[in-house]
Amino acid sequence: MKKTPLSFLSSLKLTFTLLLIIAIASILGTVIPQEYEGGESFSHLSPGLVKAFNSLQLFDMYHSVWFIILMCLLSLNLIVCSVNRFPTSWRLFRKVPSLDRSKPFEDLSPDRVLVIERRLNEVIARVENLVRRRYKRVRRSDTANTTLFQGEKGAYSHFGVYIIHLSILIFILGEIIGSLFGFNAFVNLPEGEFTSTVYLRRQRGIKKLDFTVRCDKFSIAYYDNGMPKEYRSDLSFLKNNKAIYQGPLLVNHPITFDGIKFYQASYGSVPGGQAYITIKKANERQSSIAVKLKDSFYLKEKDARVTISRIEENLMDMGPAVLLKIQSPQGNMRLWVFKDIEKIKEDIPDLFQKVPKFNPGLLKPYYFKLNSIETKYYTGLQVSHDPGASIVAIGAFFIIIGLIITFFSSHKRLWVRLDEKDHRTRIMVGARSNRDPVGLKRETEYLLRHLKKQG
Amino acid sequence: MVINTTILSWVTFIYLASSIFYIFRMVTGRAFWGPFASYIALAGLIAQSFALILRWVESYKLGIGHAPLSNLYESLIFFAWSIVLLYLIVEWRIKSRNLGAFVIPFAFLFMAYASFSPDVSSRIQPLIPALQSNWLISHVITCFIGYAAFTIACGLGFMYLLKGLGKGRGPRPFLRSLPDREILDELAYHSVVIGFIFLTLGIITGSVWAYSAWGSYWSWDPKETWSLITWLIYAAMLHSRFVRDWRGKRMAIMSIIGFASVLFTYFGVNYLPGLHSYF
Ligand code: HEM
Repeated sequence: MKKTPLSFLSSLKLTFTLLLIIAIASILGTVIPQEYEGGESFSHLSPGLVKAFNSLQLFDMYHSVWFIILMCLLSLNLIVCSVNRFPTSWRLFRKVPSLDRSKPFEDLSPDRVLVIERRLNEVIARVENLVRRRYKRVRRSDTANTTLFQGEKGAYSHFGVYIIHLSILIFILGEIIGSLFGFNAFVNLPEGEFTSTVYLRRQRGIKKLDFTVRCDKFSIAYYDNGMPKEYRSDLSFLKNNKAIYQGPLLVNHPITFDGIKFYQASYGSVPGGQAYITIKKANERQSSIAVKLKDSFYLKEKDARVTISRIEENLMDMGPAVLLKIQSPQGNMRLWVFKDIEKIKEDIPDLFQKVPKFNPGLLKPYYFKLNSIETKYYTGLQVSHDPGASIVAIGAFFIIIGLIITFFSSHKRLWVRLDEKDHRTRIMVGARSNRDPVGLKRETEYLLRHLKKQG
Repeated sequence: MVINTTILSWVTFIYLASSIFYIFRMVTGRAFWGPFASYIALAGLIAQSFALILRWVESYKLGIGHAPLSNLYESLIFFAWSIVLLYLIVEWRIKSRNLGAFVIPFAFLFMAYASFSPDVSSRIQPLIPALQSNWLISHVITCFIGYAAFTIACGLGFMYLLKGLGKGRGPRPFLRSLPDREILDELAYHSVVIGFIFLTLGIITGSVWAYSAWGSYWSWDPKETWSLITWLIYAAMLHSRFVRDWRGKRMAIMSIIGFASVLFTYFGVNYLPGLHSYF
């Protein structure tokens, strides 16, 4: 073969080189943290190294220019190699094995020869039957004292390799289509809220959806031992303020709406905007009230108006707290009311001297107490659209078919020659196969056994 | 201790006994010990299958029924089970017991790691939501059958190299008794083919699972990446045989390298930085 650029592109040497580079690159990728996976852990690398890695796009390696070039080369390699060798395979597939009387029987080992004490025309029908049953495209040629059968099967096995290689191209195509026309985004949605904007992971932008998704409820079910059993978001999908679809979203059971898939990816909690506080007045019945953010109420004795200006789930690591804004003729003040005030005071005995606005009894004769704040869940949704996925699935289907054809079939060709001499028939069985010599041997032995039985 | 794990830790010793018989048989060259080795391995396999079924039933009694394929302990047990099953099938097909000395010890090691390592919890645990998927079950089964086939190919590779050692110097009796190198080569090739097909299936079923659980069939996490590297190594090995007709020693070495990559995909990945590991 001449050394041309094409022969380089089709060579297995190139394949090995590319596979080796891809393998090494992938190993690097598992060691170097990749950006979109969080990327928080560059800190232990020296700045120079970070810069070098950055310029080589090592932090987003699988989308870097050089990785894409590698993939293109690999595809080119596969295409050129397949185009080059396809005509040969096609010829092998179409070629009718020769009806040559002698060549297939050269160097035939003695156990492939059988002598039967009968005349040729007594055995021939049964031989023909057997051969036709086991092989396709059987041909027969007769001369004076000789009959030759020739058959073959499994010619399609030459195409297994192309199917495998084609499916690898299909994978690459699917991946390209997915990254060009698909997206991968997320959104955190508190219960009761809705959105039509999601945040793209890789491109770091936002994406507007043509519809609105609302989280009606998020819930977790636990096993007896405390492990989570089910994460469930009840979602509604709305268009023009009309709910078109409502249903539960579970892990492993995505919802597809308008071609976009929603996955249950994470969850968390946010303050629910409601707090329960108790207001005590010396020697008076205490009253507990539920308040929302921006709510306000009036305290007669001090002529004060109290507004809830913040509700915090965990203020400065001291637990739940609400901020009261108190307006009265004596002046305005702010008061943080903690739920765990007793415990905080134990840790810092002189807290109220230091920070008067943490003192729940500051507005005498009133005393405030925070009973609880309501938190609500938000659900973390993975939102994605991947038009390449179904192409990849087709590739997966074909690669399995291709592997099975390549490894479990072989092109077998058979020649059976019968000669009559002195009222006896000599049967010779010759066989060839492009692969799988063991299977071929088993097959010929089976034939010979059956032929012997007939004799 | 629960019954199934008790049985399984006994099975560990059964495989140890079987390994010893296989090795003893090979080194002394006395075929007499062969049947002991095989029947002990078979007994171990039966006991292990029984324990697995028991464990399955038990999980249902706990109200958290699932196939025993959900954590490191269970996957190790299943790995060992697949190795012994596949090995016994091969032994029965090729009518030769030499390979046992190279394969059954792996089953023993995995069982021992599962049963006695303090890092591996043998408790039956309920399935967290991400693991509640039939794709995951098919993923684990196909992967470990593939891994078992690669284990056998690796054992054959070792055997091939060992047989090679006996060539120059005076042939040692036990080396002479090993099967011919062509046969070893052919067998290793067939094992790699089976392993490769199952690994391919395993990667595909794993991708389908990832797609239904996380919305992306491939995200280059270390486990996925290493399974791809393993796949590439075996693909390279098959190509060098198909196209270049490489055989023998080079293939033996490649089947050992491939298996090292399998082990890294399975165990080593957990030591890489960050990210979810499935077990
Ligand atoms: C990873 C991507 C792959 C690449 C880049 C690739 C590349 C190649 C190339 C370049 C050749 C032709 C060499 C020549 O013409 O001399 C070839 C042949 C072959 N490939 Fe692949 N291949 C890949 C995957 C696979 C897989 C997964 C299999 C299945 C095990 C496979 C099976 C074969 C077979 C059987 C041949 C030889 C065909 C013959 O001799 O008739 N390939 N491959």
